[in-house]
This record gives sequence, structure tokens and C-alpha cells, in this order.
Amino acid sequence: MQFESEAQRVLDTAAKAGAQYADVRFGETRDEHIEVRNGVVSSLSDGTSAGFSVRALVNGAWGFASSAQITDSELDRVAALAVQIAKASAKARGHGISLVAAPPAVASYATPFEVDPATVPLGDRVNHLLAVEKEVRAAKGVTVARAWMDIWRTNKYFANSEGSKIDQRLLQCGSALHALAVGERDVQDRCFPGTGGLYQTGGYEIIRKANLLDNARRIGEEAVALIDAEQCPSGTMDIVLSGDQVSLQIHESIGHALELDRVLGWEANFSGTSFATLDKLGTFRYGSEQVNVVIDMTCPLALATHGYDDEGVKATPVDLIRDGILVGYMAGRDTADTAKVGLSGCVRAEYWGRLPMIRIGNVNLEAGNVPAEHLFDDIKQGVYMESNRSWSIDDKRLNFQFGCQLGYEIKDGKKGRMLKNPTYAGMTPAFWRSCDAIGDANSWVAWGTPNCGKGEPLQTARSCQGASPSRFRDVSVGVAYAG
Amino acid sequence: MPAEFTDRAALDRALDRALTASKADETEVLVAASDSSLTRFTHNFVHESVTERNAQMSVRAVLGKRIGVAGTNRLDDAGIAEAVNRAYEMAKLSTEDADFPGLPASKDEVVETPGSFDPATAAATPEMRAAAVADIAKVMRVNDLYAAGYVSTQADAFAIANSKGVRRYHQGTDSAINIKAIGSDSSGYAEGFSKRFSDLEPVALAERAAKKAVTGKNPRALEPGKYTVILEAPAFREFLGYLSWIGFGAQPFEEGSSFMSGHIGEKIVGENVTLRDDYAHPLGAGIPFDFEGVPRQHVSLIERGVAASVVYDSYYAAKLRHGNTGHALPAPNSEGPLPLNVVVDPGSTPLEEMIKDVQHGVLVTRTWYIRLVDQKQTIITGMTRDGLFLIERGRVTKGLKNMRFNESIIGALGRCDLASALVRSENHVLPAVRIEGFTFSSGTDFA
Repeated sequence: MQFESEAQRVLDTAAKAGAQYADVRFGETRDEHIEVRNGVVSSLSDGTSAGFSVRALVNGAWGFASSAQITDSELDRVAALAVQIAKASAKARGHGISLVAAPPAVASYATPFEVDPATVPLGDRVNHLLAVEKEVRAAKGVTVARAWMDIWRTNKYFANSEGSKIDQRLLQCGSALHALAVGERDVQDRCFPGTGGLYQTGGYEIIRKANLLDNARRIGEEAVALIDAEQCPSGTMDIVLSGDQVSLQIHESIGHALELDRVLGWEANFSGTSFATLDKLGTFRYGSEQVNVVIDMTCPLALATHGYDDEGVKATPVDLIRDGILVGYMAGRDTADTAKVGLSGCVRAEYWGRLPMIRIGNVNLEAGNVPAEHLFDDIKQGVYMESNRSWSIDDKRLNFQFGCQLGYEIKDGKKGRMLKNPTYAGMTPAFWRSCDAIGDANSWVAWGTPNCGKGEPLQTARSCQGASPSRFRDVSVGVAYAG
Repeated sequence: MPAEFTDRAALDRALDRALTASKADETEVLVAASDSSLTRFTHNFVHESVTERNAQMSVRAVLGKRIGVAGTNRLDDAGIAEAVNRAYEMAKLSTEDADFPGLPASKDEVVETPGSFDPATAAATPEMRAAAVADIAKVMRVNDLYAAGYVSTQADAFAIANSKGVRRYHQGTDSAINIKAIGSDSSGYAEGFSKRFSDLEPVALAERAAKKAVTGKNPRALEPGKYTVILEAPAFREFLGYLSWIGFGAQPFEEGSSFMSGHIGEKIVGENVTLRDDYAHPLGAGIPFDFEGVPRQHVSLIERGVAASVVYDSYYAAKLRHGNTGHALPAPNSEGPLPLNVVVDPGSTPLEEMIKDVQHGVLVTRTWYIRLVDQKQTIITGMTRDGLFLIERGRVTKGLKNMRFNESIIGALGRCDLASALVRSENHVLPAVRIEGFTFSSGTDFA
């Protein structure tokens, strides 16, 4: 394994300096981004970054240091600095941090893929996006048309003082198109697939199956049509959300709420805490009986799937909500003991230089049993909403308000006229308890979210919330425009 | 931080190696080097403390009107040569952008802000940050509270050069303290920012946050509706950050999606409102040139209520036949130019007097999770947090449970009064603001 000797040098240095536990991560990332905007390649970029970081535990306090320079002297400096920081932290420590056991692993993992993106010539990738963007712009009235793709490769090596040595090669891909229409008093936009594209683990096949070209014209036309569409009404009514919007709802009102570091107050000053406190574990009705949510870092295709997390814990599915009852949290080795919950392998850092923390991994809402085409069936008056435009939720993850790009009236079980500016609002448990139908496996998609922010310094993580279109009863609609 | 890491001569050598290696018609090289540390605390103890040292190079290669960008943090000869080659190869495969004017050739002098770099801040230790946390915790314990927040210090260097002779270098430091004081049913917030860590006063900030948490005990619920509100600087800053993003750049201006589009010279907000972009404000920590190496100009965005100007980079300056104001972001950039150092001219009323003048209203300490609802109407939604208070007959009387708001930013600036004291909040310099008829749309059961 590459970096094995360097890792051992770091661990030896940290131990000599006084670390009771230490781990080290070497990482290398390569991010390729191509974007086309109104007929021009507006971004063609390819960035690499490499370095290492050391996490040391001394007297119940953490220290962490990282550097881009991988030389013997820098390995020694950073290892010693991590221990120095831990010792300084220990002077203002609380009850003291201890780690739950995790079996040491000597392992390798690589993302399975069908088509290596490197085998697709860059010129072909550019031409694909130019064709897609041209088709979006072919819709008369589109002001700005865009199409883009990302290819992210991460190679990393983890070792700790307990004997773990883990080598991983991750590959994530995604693509999207976007149409913006500007009216006299209104700006409307549409994106495809979903809210910000289809992002998953895998190779170039992920970009091909997004099927941008076949949907480009339609999406452009929808953006233009929204300018003259009727305003979404206000009131309490039934709604059906597209799968990608349900995905965001899961992310904001389940995923973040069940990060155990938030529950314990570790994010209190920034990302916030959680209403889903420890006393609710095992008894709290989070949602209706249809609502089953699992964190599964092994889920095929899901954007956060890996073999092991950044503290060497093996990816393992853990139930979060079963039959509507809160039964679990996402936890790390330094927090799991407080809630007596299992480790799922969800502790991750944005890149080699940042501290690993609990992140929403693949937090999936299990498919229901209703064919998506029957979700409207017994709605007398309601709204169908598709793809997110605006999302806001309080720092305990209770009071939320979301807006979508596209709406349709639902009347007597049938899809009616197009509606613009659809918004809905509510309180997390009441909303999930009002969920009475979830689309079946045929409509379930592992929707990726490539830009989840948390922590200080801020870290961006890639998560997934697998979901199907779903129905919710008696929801407050249109409040954003009621003022 | 070791001098060699951000030393001008060292970064110049890296820039020269990249420019020499490039076969492109035009080449731009940017190096951003940073040594940053942050000590984070909760429950009155340090739970995270980190430090990171990195230097990232970005190379923009231009072939005619085709562009490729490559990045690397491997700054040895081989790493630089590889990045330069990747940028060149990508440029060959790009399309021509007829509007691309070529890289800027500006050799205008940049005006550095005095005191940008403080050696003591660059040399701050984890022990110094932990000591600040201990001071904060002491204040909290006296008040039967606990705190969560961070203490940070950092040193940065930026160096830019291009094949047309542009060459810039800037070195700066920055530091911050962020405190959320937490009680059984209330919380309070205070923040401080300075280029000099020694300027920050952890005890005074802790006392301010603690006072808010103590005052906010036993919070009551407020009925949704329209209220007179006073947004303190951290809350107001989030409003203005959104305004900059959706409207003060040349890209949305050209697209027509900005509230400024078609309204330059027209009154769009109250006459008491003047917004500028000013990197050199003494309270700020701005850089005197943009990410193309063009000197930043002071730009009046809104002048006495009238839409004055948006900001430009070399691309949009050429495309829209306007002067370049020096507001480019790093290439490639899908947002267009943006103002990064917004300053709001103060009003004449001290905050305390402003509160005294409110018969029935709400004081907002901080906001959270603001998102855009409607770009053209500049409607945003968000939550209050960490100190929402009722004002009755000129006095802050009790704490309130948090509320959700839906409000047009431009609409609110049309019915506002600005306080007299300027403070720095993140990258903004601004006062508190009083807004009439502010819309709270729903509430929560916690403060």
C-alpha cells in the first residue's frame, strides 16, 4: 500500500509525543468540471490536491493538523503539532473523549464502475454538453441555458494506532442541465435531472443514464412556460412531492436531525442542534408507519458509498427510523457510546486536510408500495411539486419552508394546470406523520446531494437520500408569498 | 507560520516557473497559500482544534479565445509543469468565446491597506486559542450558562501573475471569535473579527452573549404578522450577502435577473441607504486586487437610495462596455464578478436610541438558513436564532421564541433606518438596521 511507511512514521511520532490514540490519512483528489453556458464552454477545469492529516487523542481531547507537503520533516512536524494541539485542548476539556471499539481493518475498496471516465475523450464530453445546452436554448424564451458534468476521484490511505490500514479509490460522477427564463417581473428556472443533477458513485455510465439530451428541450420549455403560469394558491391541502424533492426533505429534516454530534450540541453555534434528543430514541413517532429510513453506506450507486469511513469504520447499514419510530442516529467513535447506537461508517472529511466528522451518508427512505402514477388518485384538491428552488429550516430541524421549481394543480385525482412559485411549510414530525403514500421501487432513485455544508471550518460533503415520489396530507402551501 | 511558506520571493518563483512552462498564447497563474487554525468549543470545553497548511495553484491557459483551467497543490517543478500542461490541453478542446477580451494587462498600482498582516496573529498558538476558550467558559459558568463557538486565527498570501505583465502579491492575517451562550431555554450570540487577534476581547464578547441568554430566559411566543424589527449587524449581514449574490454582479445584471437590471439611476430603496464595495475599509480585511490581479475600485452600488452600479471583471467590462471595477472571482467562475467587501454607510441614530424609539417591536440578534424565494422580488426566507427579543415602549422586555420570516430585501431597505455604529460581520462592514412592517410568517416553540 502506498504511504504505509510514511503512515507508520507519523503514528510513531505521535505516540512518542504522547498520543494515546492517533490516526493518519493520506489523500489525493482530482476534480474535473465542464460547464457550457449559452453556446460557450464557460468552465473547463481539472484540479488536483494532495496531502495528509493527523488526528491525535491526548487525555480525552482531540488535536488535528494537516499539510500538503509530504516530506519526512513535515510528517514529523504535523504529527507533533497534532499532539501539541490535543494537549492544549485538554486544558479546556470537559468529561473527556473516549472511543468505542472498532475492529482494526486491513483492507482495500474501490468504487465499482462500468465505464472509466478517462476512456471517454474530453472532446466527446465537451461535445455532449454543447449538444445538450443547444437543445435547452432551442426552447424559445430561454435566457440562459447551461449544462455541466463533474467527475471526482478520491484516493486515500488510512492508518491508525490500533492497526488499521485501509486503501480506497472512490469515483463519483454527475451531470445536469439548467434553463433560466427572465420575465418582466419574474425569474423562473428549471433543472434536470432533479434539483441539481444526477450525482452517484460509478463511472461515466452515470452521466450517460442522466439522459440530458432527450429532456433538454422540455425543461427549457417548462422554464419559459412558468413565466406565464398561474401563481400557486395558498392554503392547507394535500401535496405530492417528486422523488428529488422528497430527497431534499429527508436531507434537511431527517438527515441533519439525526447526526449525533448535533444532538449532543457539538454543532450548536453553527449548524445547530436537533429536536430529536436522546430521550426520544426508541419511542418517538417521527413519521407515519410507512416511513422507514436507513443509513446505508454500502448502497449501490449512492453518492456517499464507500468501504470504510475516515476513522476506519466499515460501512454498515443502520436503521434510523423503523415503522415511523426513531430508532437510531448517525454516530462516530467518539459519540456512539452516548446513545448506545451502532456505527454505520459515516464519519467523513471533505478532503485530506480537514477533520472527519459525522456527515449525512446515504440516508434512504425505503420504497413504498404505491405505483407513482397512483399517488394522485384520491386527492380532491392539491398540488404536485417538483425539484427544489428554495430550502430553509431552523437550527433544531423543525420549522421548515421549501419552494419548488414547478407545480401542477391536482384536482379530483388528475394533474391539472401548471403552477409557478409553489412553496410549502411545516414542522418536521407533523409533516412526516402526514405521509400516507410512498412510491414503489420503480420510482426510487438514489438522489445525490453534492454540496452539503457543515462544520467550522466549513466542510462540503457529498450525500445521498434515496427516495420515491410521496404524498403528504393537509400541508400548509403558499405561505412564502402570503406576506 | 514559517516565512518561506508565504514569502513573496518563493511564490514569485512558483509563478515564474508556471509562466515559463506555458505554451499558451496567454497564461494566468494564481497561488493562494494559507495557514489556518480554528479551535472549536461546546459545553464550555474544546471538542475540536485544527490547523491546516496548504498552497493551491491555479493556471488559466488561453489559446485565442479558448480557455482551460487546471489546479494543483504540488508546487515543485513537475507538479507545476503538469498543471500548466493540463490547462493547455483543455484550452485546445474548449470552444471559442467571442466575448473573451484576453487577460487583463492592468499595471495600475494597487493600494495596500495598512495593517493587513499582523505577525503576532500569524504566530498565534493552540494554547492562546484554548486560553481564550477558558476565559469564555469562565463567564458562562458565572451566569449558569454554557458556550459553543470558535476561536480562529489565520495567515494567507495571494500571488497572481500573467503573461501580459500583471504581477501582484498580498499577505494578510485574520482572526475571529464566535460565541453562542446557551441556557436551559434561551441563547445569546456575539462575534468579533479582526486582522489582529490581540484586538479581540473574548471576555467582553462572552459577557455580551451571556447577557442576551440571561435576558431571554422564559421566552414567550409571538404571533406571526408584521412588526417593527431591529436587525443587529450579524442578521443584517446575511440579508446583504444575498443581495450581493443575486443583484450586484454584472452577470445577473446582464441576464436581467437582477433587481438592478434596467434600473440604474432610479431610486430603488430609501434615500438613507448607501451601499459601497470598499476593500480598504479599516474595519475590513479586503485584498486590494481581484483574482485577475486588477486593482479593486471603490464602487458605489446604491447611492442615497438610487441604483448606482454593479461590479465588473475584465470579461463583463468588455462585453458590456463598462470600466473594469476589479471584482473578478477565480477562474473558472460561473457566478460572474461579485462585491466581496460591502460597506453600508451608517445612519445617525445610536442603536440604544433606536430601541428607545420603538413602541412595539422585535430585536433580532442573528438569522439562520436564509434562502432565496424569489430573485426578482428579492424575497428571502429564514429563521431567527440566538437572541430574539420583544421591545415594548422603548425597552427590551423579554425573550421570544424563534420565528420564520419571509421578506423582500429591497422592500425592507425602502422602509428602514440605519444605526450610527459600524461593525464588521464576516466580510461586511455595517450598522444595525430598523425595518418597519417586517413579515414573520410562523414561529417555533424554542428560543
